[in-house]
Amino acid sequence: MTGIGGRAAVVGIGATEFSKDSRRSELKLAAQAVRAALADAGLRPADVDGLVTFTMDTNTEAAVARELGIPQLRFFSRIHYGGGAACATVQQAALAIAAGVAEVVVCYRAFNERSGHRFGQFSTALASAPTSSGVDASWSYPMGLGTPGAQVAMVARRYMHVTGATSEDFGRVAVADRRHAATNPKAFFYGRPITLAEHQASRWITEPLHLLDCCQESDGGVAVVVTSAERARDLAQPPVLVRAAAQGSGPDQFVMTSYYRDALTGLPEMGIVANQLWAQAGITAQDVDVAVLYDHFTPFVLMQLEELGFCPRGEARHFVADGGIEIDGRLPVNPHGGQLGEAYIHGMNGIAEGVRQVRGTAVNQVARVEHVLVTAGTGVPTSGLVLGR
Amino acid sequence: MIGPGTALPAMTVEATPTFVVATAVATRDFQDVHHDRDAALARGSKDIFVNILTDTGLVQRFVTDWAGPAARVHDIKIRLGVPCYAYDTLHFSGEVTAVDGDRVTVSVIGRGSLGDHVSGTVTVSGVTP
Amino acid sequence: MTVDILGRAGQVRAAGECAPRSARDPVNQPMINNWVEALGDANPIYTSEAAARAAGHPGVVAPPAMIQVWTMAGLHGRRAADDPLQIMTALLDEAGFTSVVATNCEQTYHRYLRVGEHLRMTTALEDVTGPKRTALGDGWFVTTRNVWYSGEEPVAEMRFRVLKFAPGPAAAPAGADAVRPVVSRDTAFFWEGTAAGELRIQRCGACGTLRHPPGPMCPSCGADDPGYVLASGRGTVFSYVVHHHPPVPGRTVPFVVALVELEEGVRMLGGLVGVDPGEVRIGMAVEAALTRVDDGLTLPDWRPAR
Ligand SMILES: [Zn+2]
Repeated sequence: MTGIGGRAAVVGIGATEFSKDSRRSELKLAAQAVRAALADAGLRPADVDGLVTFTMDTNTEAAVARELGIPQLRFFSRIHYGGGAACATVQQAALAIAAGVAEVVVCYRAFNERSGHRFGQFSTALASAPTSSGVDASWSYPMGLGTPGAQVAMVARRYMHVTGATSEDFGRVAVADRRHAATNPKAFFYGRPITLAEHQASRWITEPLHLLDCCQESDGGVAVVVTSAERARDLAQPPVLVRAAAQGSGPDQFVMTSYYRDALTGLPEMGIVANQLWAQAGITAQDVDVAVLYDHFTPFVLMQLEELGFCPRGEARHFVADGGIEIDGRLPVNPHGGQLGEAYIHGMNGIAEGVRQVRGTAVNQVARVEHVLVTAGTGVPTSGLVLGR
Repeated sequence: MIGPGTALPAMTVEATPTFVVATAVATRDFQDVHHDRDAALARGSKDIFVNILTDTGLVQRFVTDWAGPAARVHDIKIRLGVPCYAYDTLHFSGEVTAVDGDRVTVSVIGRGSLGDHVSGTVTVSGVTP
Repeated sequence: MTVDILGRAGQVRAAGECAPRSARDPVNQPMINNWVEALGDANPIYTSEAAARAAGHPGVVAPPAMIQVWTMAGLHGRRAADDPLQIMTALLDEAGFTSVVATNCEQTYHRYLRVGEHLRMTTALEDVTGPKRTALGDGWFVTTRNVWYSGEEPVAEMRFRVLKFAPGPAAAPAGADAVRPVVSRDTAFFWEGTAAGELRIQRCGACGTLRHPPGPMCPSCGADDPGYVLASGRGTVFSYVVHHHPPVPGRTVPFVVALVELEEGVRMLGGLVGVDPGEVRIGMAVEAALTRVDDGLTLPDWRPAR
């Protein structure tokens, strides 16, 4: 076994409610999510010696530590590339724990992404930064391409052209996510399933993407507590081992606009993550019992199924149409409703769902779960986890 | 002597964000594009911009600054051109186009960096420049 | 078109004035003071009793241009259901003329108003004309007429005209408020090229590899002194997006952004103009159509090959 496999465990998960208007500061959301995760783990703030978050998070580790009354931090770190950071925060924690520089590390992400700064809007600020990112963005934003929906739509259109996938194939992902969310009381769309006809009738956002192909901007916070496998054995919850944790960035990589490399129908950075995950965990795609796949936009779920090896290239639409991603399907995907159905907390809520599936405490619990795959942001340098017992 | 061709003194207005917001509120115009830059950007505008009620008021001020306190304004007819965004400067110019007894018609143009923002005519009487 | 715009307009016009809207406050000195302060209007007849009397008024008067201010709906205001402009706006929205721009505002003042007068305003539809082809797109001009009353006496009138239009199907080229690129030492040659009417592709000075987007060091051979070649300006659509939402600065929705594969082999993003969004196909032949926004920016747009 290579990597950090099995030496760290997730021992606590916590979240605020998910809403369109949290009516409180992002720091308060972060502090509440971290406190909830510590309570879940049966740990106190004074036990924490490490914090990890996203570079995009507006709450500094020092501020979060201060609010929680964490007396000292020995490790703090941040990961870049938006939602691609999600699983990598756990990897950072596991690395620090494996190296012995920290013992209890909390990973958090909290934002008022709907009531505050909205990610779905066209951000001129991002395109005018005097950085390599600003220069990169200058090949798309001035041309009018600068919302996540548009950036994904460009790839989706090509994918449809090459594979024969249709808007309805994308829609089936949204229908499955919303069906799962409909029975999850914590979900944004609890009790509100949709039909494929409703998906097709929803308005265009960035053709070929309909409104219901896109997740909704959300307010909320999620935190997960990571510690060593040894210490995990004495805590409140059954430990959920980090069987594998990996990051990946591919050839000729851009952030959301990797339009200049070969086929434009795959997600090479996710393939790089997958190969490491299988090697670290000593499993293959066929051993995954539940997959929490990053689903801010439906097309990338189809492309992930192929890139991760759950079906051959170009076949994901059949996999989905045949019920493959339902709770009782070949690969249950996003039983909590995903970011399309539960909330868009930049992938962190997916990690929490992975933990619940391993614990056996999820609202839409899959039977006999040994390995859960969790992926982070698609279209960007990204990361992934295999969680297990 | 006032007659067709008589030029009015120029007037310059700095459309600072404060000006745009203060005039919008003073005219009870609470549309977000006149005070909320984020909302204006989201609606495809470059910035917050001056509202129409203020345009009418500025045209009136331009004319009465010249015509004096004793003047009576009878009508103000404006056409609306390119937006006047915050941080722009409006340059007003105008001249008398007709005199009918005591009644004087003045043409007015308010120009910003993007072009003609407002143009029109004002009829005024009792002019004592 | 299934919406009978002229027929409905005739009914609304025949209905005449809608129910009057009362001013929240009577004409009053504090609101006048706020207004003259914000507008920078120093005319003393609005604030000084003595100056107003010297000018022949019985006392302080309100600025005529404030007439509309008195009856504004306010922070939480809504237009009434029988408001003719509201009715026509909804109708034209339904017919696809979803954008609006005010074009004319003509106010006539019958007399100056004194502090304490309480106003009511009515609205009537005066005219609807269209469809007309305008620079913004096809649209309809809607003209309304407002009358302000003090008691039963009409004291001022306003004719107000808006253009309700459907943004043109051929994506409008970027406007003056287009997003500007960040230009680095590595990318300046490209933007200098578009400004000079040239579409330039970076070419490695050592191994000759073409590359777009450009960068400082050749990923193939490591050389760091690139030059460029001129593109033929011919290519095909490799993929594309029709953008409907949300709004984008400098663009009018819907518009098309295309990923074009140049015949030299590199790909490049640009607006695709001069084509109905529904007609765009992957593989269609396009040619460069550099769009000059201003002295500082020329964008590498594309149009269908002739
Ligand atoms: Zn080279």
